[in-house]
Amino acid sequence: MAALAQDEAAPMVRRAHLARQTLVFSGLLTLFAVAFVVSLCVGRFAVPPARALELIWLGATDPWRELATIDERIVLLVRAPRVVLAALAGAGLALSGAALQGVFRNPLVSPDILGISQGAAFGGALGIMLGIWGFPLISMVFLSGMAAVVLVGLISRINGRSETITVILSGLVVSSMFSAVVSLLQFVADPNTSLPAIVYWLMGSFATATWERTLIAAPGLIIGGAFLWMLRFRLNILSLDEAEAQSLGAKTNRERWMVFGLIAVIVGSQVAVSGIIGWIGIVIPHASRLLVGHDHRALLPASVVLGAGFMVIIDTLARTATAAEIPLGVITALVGAPIFAMLLRNHYRERNGS
Amino acid sequence: MLPDDVTGRGFNMVSLTRFASRGLLAAALSGLLAHGAAAQEITFKDQENREVKLAKAAERIVSIVIPMASTVIALDGGTKKLVGMNPTAKSAVLEGILSKIFPETKDIPSDVTAPNFVPNIEALTATNPDLVIQWGGRGNDIVAPITNAGLNAMLILYGTEQLTRDYMTMTSKAIGKPERIKELVDWRDRVQKDIEAKAKAIPDDKKPSTLYIARALSEIATTGTKGSYNAWYMELVGGRNASAELNGTVTINKEQIAQWDPEIIFLNAFEAKLDVNWVYNDPILSLTKAAKNKRVYKMPLGGYRWDPPNQESPLAWMWTANLTQPDVFKYDLRAEMKTAYKTLYNYDITDADIDGILWMKEQGGSANYVQFKAK
Repeated sequence: MAALAQDEAAPMVRRAHLARQTLVFSGLLTLFAVAFVVSLCVGRFAVPPARALELIWLGATDPWRELATIDERIVLLVRAPRVVLAALAGAGLALSGAALQGVFRNPLVSPDILGISQGAAFGGALGIMLGIWGFPLISMVFLSGMAAVVLVGLISRINGRSETITVILSGLVVSSMFSAVVSLLQFVADPNTSLPAIVYWLMGSFATATWERTLIAAPGLIIGGAFLWMLRFRLNILSLDEAEAQSLGAKTNRERWMVFGLIAVIVGSQVAVSGIIGWIGIVIPHASRLLVGHDHRALLPASVVLGAGFMVIIDTLARTATAAEIPLGVITALVGAPIFAMLLRNHYRERNGS
Repeated sequence: MLPDDVTGRGFNMVSLTRFASRGLLAAALSGLLAHGAAAQEITFKDQENREVKLAKAAERIVSIVIPMASTVIALDGGTKKLVGMNPTAKSAVLEGILSKIFPETKDIPSDVTAPNFVPNIEALTATNPDLVIQWGGRGNDIVAPITNAGLNAMLILYGTEQLTRDYMTMTSKAIGKPERIKELVDWRDRVQKDIEAKAKAIPDDKKPSTLYIARALSEIATTGTKGSYNAWYMELVGGRNASAELNGTVTINKEQIAQWDPEIIFLNAFEAKLDVNWVYNDPILSLTKAAKNKRVYKMPLGGYRWDPPNQESPLAWMWTANLTQPDVFKYDLRAEMKTAYKTLYNYDITDADIDGILWMKEQGGSANYVQFKAK
């Protein structure tokens, strides 16, 4: 809305706006690049930064080289896939959050609202209990996440269309249903093996990242993200009032479900390889909105870059702060909640002041 | 006398309602038993310092604690007194040798508790136990339901060898076989002292760093030294706990293992699908000293998994000792196992049984493992 208004303003203002956006984006990109490189250089295994940089260079220029020494394998087989996966997952979650908040015209929704996370959690917990690992587990998680969204769709579709409020409530219903089953699975799980595994998985982690897992998750995250980016104009329209959007020719119901479907693919792919990671999908879009405004053409890329950078930083903390891996859910909430509270207060103070 | 009378009557009431048809007989019988046993009333303090009072030696025992199910069988020398156990204990029985020694164990109910130690009171009461073994130190929520149902609970604590000996002694007293425990505790004591004496001469720089992996397949978890039984016996036999800096059992990453670079890796016996190839096929772990020198071993699964304290612990220590300090310890493990299985279960263990317990097929090619081959 703000962007639309600015489009009609004087060229001077537009140029100033453009300069500001450029500055913000170059800042975000620098932040991400620095976080990315630094996190490849740090870890529990001591690799001198210069050597790590050399290894990254070698890995980037000659990716099929035989990796014989331990430091090469640590940097290129443990850290690199993990950092790439964290960046992709952070970007995907933030992007989904931004899109979803637009569609629902509600700043409080996060990708969890569609029941995907809890549905996927059910698949994961069941898989771990049945002793399934690796690719079958990942597909099981992804499919159960999809099933949850389909279920939300079926429940919320009344007389051929679904209102946003019924979608939110159906999401709530499906979520709580799946989380009850997850609790049940935890109750019957073996306390020596599967129970801690389920609990840890529910708190989210990239500790198991390998290139294989990264490549499994990447297509869903990248393709889903690309399609959402293609829908950026649609998202601007969908974030308007329902009647207004329809008067602009939007088939709101169909387009909304297109967005939900893409988000389900993104979040499903993320949860499948790294468990449930909260807060990114709500904190990052808000922070991005403060930086670049409400226009989805700027908001989506800003969320992607900021989400990727933030996730990489959080995950680096998780794996380096102590000898033990700290679950991501713990850090994202500890860091995310105060930032969110601060943003919230600033936002409403400004609004009340103006 | 009075409290016993009350419990006696309570017991009769239950019998009457549960077995209406043979109520009269049951009442008469249990009345008789209660009367006859009054002289041998057993009282003791459990490890949470609660007084446990049994009118007579416990005949029907439920162990909610996982390793204690097989310990009760060992203490009693049979399965008659074990009437219920944890589902996770049952999986160890079914995967391990106990189901072969005592085929009837597969019929012992495991619905008396959820694996996380929350009892199912109805199923528990239906087994009509006169003693329920439960974990202490985990809050009252898993104990109150048992005592509220009028059942006798005995609480035990996890962690050290001393606690293990104490609760094993307590249990053998409760089942009316106080004489039985002596030989088992003596054995533990003898082996421990022998290992300690031999390990004393090992200089610190000759102690290999050893890593116990508590979970591997979903995430990697290992354990610090404090409060860990595994770390205790790894150090007892002349090893150094590679993950000593940790606190409790926590998740770690492979990079951290590479940094520790352990000389020996022990894998848990809990994960049925885990074997030494998990280490050898991993790009990072296969470069650790342990993997390069083929010193990666999965813990055996005998009458119970050898990782936590149980009735077979001395065997676990000897196995660990021979592998950690092969120049110092040369226990004849096969002979020791034959004697132990005779004492514990009155069973003549075969060479094939031992091969299965020690995973000879899976890890017979590991360093120093040839000593365990049948001669």
